[in-house]
Amino acid sequence: MRILVVEDEAKVASFVRRALEEESYAVDVCDDGAKGLELALAGCYDLIVLDLMLPGMPGLEVLKALRKEQVTAPVLILTARSELDQKVKGLDAGADDYLTKPFAIEELVARVRALLRRGTGEAAGVLQVGDLALNPATREVTRGGQRIELTAKEYALLEYLMRNAGRVLTRPMIAEHVWNQDFDTFTNVIDVYVNYLRNKIDRGQERKLIQTVRGSGYTLKAD
Amino acid sequence: MPLRLRLTLWYGTALALILVILGGALYAMLAHGLRDQIDRSLAETAAVAVRALEQHRVGAFLPFADLAAEFPELAVLDKSFQIFSPAGKVTIQSPNLGRLDIPLSRTALESALNGRATYESARFPGGSSYRLLSVPILLDGVLANIVQVGTSLRPVEEMLQRLLLVLLVSLPVALAVALGGGWFLAGRALRPVDAITLAAQRLAEGDLTQRLAVSQAQDEIGRLSATFNAMIARLETSFRQVRQFSADASHELRTPLTVMKGETELALRRARPAEDYRLVLESNLEEIDRMVRIVDELLFLSRADLGEVRIESRPVRLDALVEDVQRQAVVLGQERDVQVMMGTMEPVTVQGDELRLRELLLNLVDNAVKYSRPGEKVELALARDGATARLSVADRGIGISAEAQGRIFDRFYRTDEARAHAPKGTGLGLAICKWIVEAHHGRIEVQSAVGQGAKFTVILPVVTP
Repeated sequence: MRILVVEDEAKVASFVRRALEEESYAVDVCDDGAKGLELALAGCYDLIVLDLMLPGMPGLEVLKALRKEQVTAPVLILTARSELDQKVKGLDAGADDYLTKPFAIEELVARVRALLRRGTGEAAGVLQVGDLALNPATREVTRGGQRIELTAKEYALLEYLMRNAGRVLTRPMIAEHVWNQDFDTFTNVIDVYVNYLRNKIDRGQERKLIQTVRGSGYTLKAD
Repeated sequence: MPLRLRLTLWYGTALALILVILGGALYAMLAHGLRDQIDRSLAETAAVAVRALEQHRVGAFLPFADLAAEFPELAVLDKSFQIFSPAGKVTIQSPNLGRLDIPLSRTALESALNGRATYESARFPGGSSYRLLSVPILLDGVLANIVQVGTSLRPVEEMLQRLLLVLLVSLPVALAVALGGGWFLAGRALRPVDAITLAAQRLAEGDLTQRLAVSQAQDEIGRLSATFNAMIARLETSFRQVRQFSADASHELRTPLTVMKGETELALRRARPAEDYRLVLESNLEEIDRMVRIVDELLFLSRADLGEVRIESRPVRLDALVEDVQRQAVVLGQERDVQVMMGTMEPVTVQGDELRLRELLLNLVDNAVKYSRPGEKVELALARDGATARLSVADRGIGISAEAQGRIFDRFYRTDEARAHAPKGTGLGLAICKWIVEAHHGRIEVQSAVGQGAKFTVILPVVTP
């Protein structure tokens, strides 16, 4: 899952980035409204965290421009103003949720999780493909009730695959959503990590969930 | 008591008083005039009778018919007519007296004996009032006869009664109509006052968008409305400023709080190396310092607003102060590789508070260093220009755009460039500078262009020796 954080206050941007990275999300940070809009339009982000008071271009304008350009990624706005009309204006301009500064890290992380869940149609917050289950809140992964321990990167890769279950995901797509901006797509890191995952999830199982689509990439499906 | 009722009552009372006085005067004048007229006509009649009797020396009692035959002019008199002997006995009586017996009064008789005429009013049984004139007729200086002419006062009384009736009926009616009209007019005149009251009520409820329709007429209410509107406009502006100020203040204080809360919570999520904790604590300390600065500066400004900041008034050698600050600023500049230099200097003494002036100068120099890029220069200069001292601090740093120049002295205002270049600023320094300069009866100006530096000039009145 790739997240864009547009926030001009360097320290705020820094701890938000670290908190999200600890949740295994790939995070890009931008400190200017206009540049943030450019990034959001160019890359494909799964979620955007947007401060309202920004140099270059006000957050509200960035949000309106994004929605006008048909960017449908959920947007979480951060505002230092607790006034009602700021929240209402933000939500009306197409934001999906808001947080008032100062906010709790756990709340930020929970709201990000909830917003990412929205697209997949899952109800209880648990991603399920066949007998494989992933709980983003507890970061617990089980197969047939059996708990599976994953590293942060493996977890991020699996979450991305499960959220897009049934779809064929190319290597550039996986790189963009799971790894950071500066990731070199010519290496075989993705294949290596997919193999790690296969070892932990599919080994010894009768039904293999992770499948290779020759010439394209990978897909994860139950049948 | 409502003003409308009070106005109407005052007006009504005044009007009633005027009407009563007017009615009374009219009645009295008419009554007096009518009586005068009667007296005059009685006198004329008596004169006719006396002339006739004097010519013919009537002495003995005669029936009126004979007398009338002899003096036809007496027969056509419309008044009653009696002639008395000097003893007061009736000798001749006009027939129109009928059965009415009018004796000669004692006063009239005595006056006649002294040769004087007498006017009398008399009321007789049956209710008829009479006006009588008794005139003595003297023959060779001796009272021969007394002629008494009389006329009924009934027509006059009837007329006066009618007048009284008309007055008694029309006065209250006129008063009632006038009161009604007054009530209506007072209501009309006071309607704008009600509108103002209503607007003031909404104002008290916090609706500052209220404005009164100002009538074109330059009357009292029009002026009141205009004054009222001007007052609301000022209130609205200052309310907006206060709201903007507290919103800005809360935003500026929230940012360090957000950083401290976020970094601390993040650090506590899991066990980390000691170095990580140290970094968080250092960062928190920075934020605490920032908040302390904001709170100190806010406190200063709010005390300044309330007039609680004392400004000393002593002679201050500005050139010595500038040199002193420059020495301090050189150290400040070394940290950022900015050279702080002295330009032209002239000896100038101003009247003021040395501590505040030092704070002002330090603030300006600190800004100049902060917004300079490494390797650039900051120049301090002091010149005397007639009765004013011109103290300038010039840098070649990031500069200020023309549209921002008008706002940089506003509390918490910072340009995006300034925020990006020096994130630790509070946005209050220049507001404090402006306050200090104005407290010294001076002014502060800025010349700048984006990317080409800024020159702040403080102009202070000089003490003339």
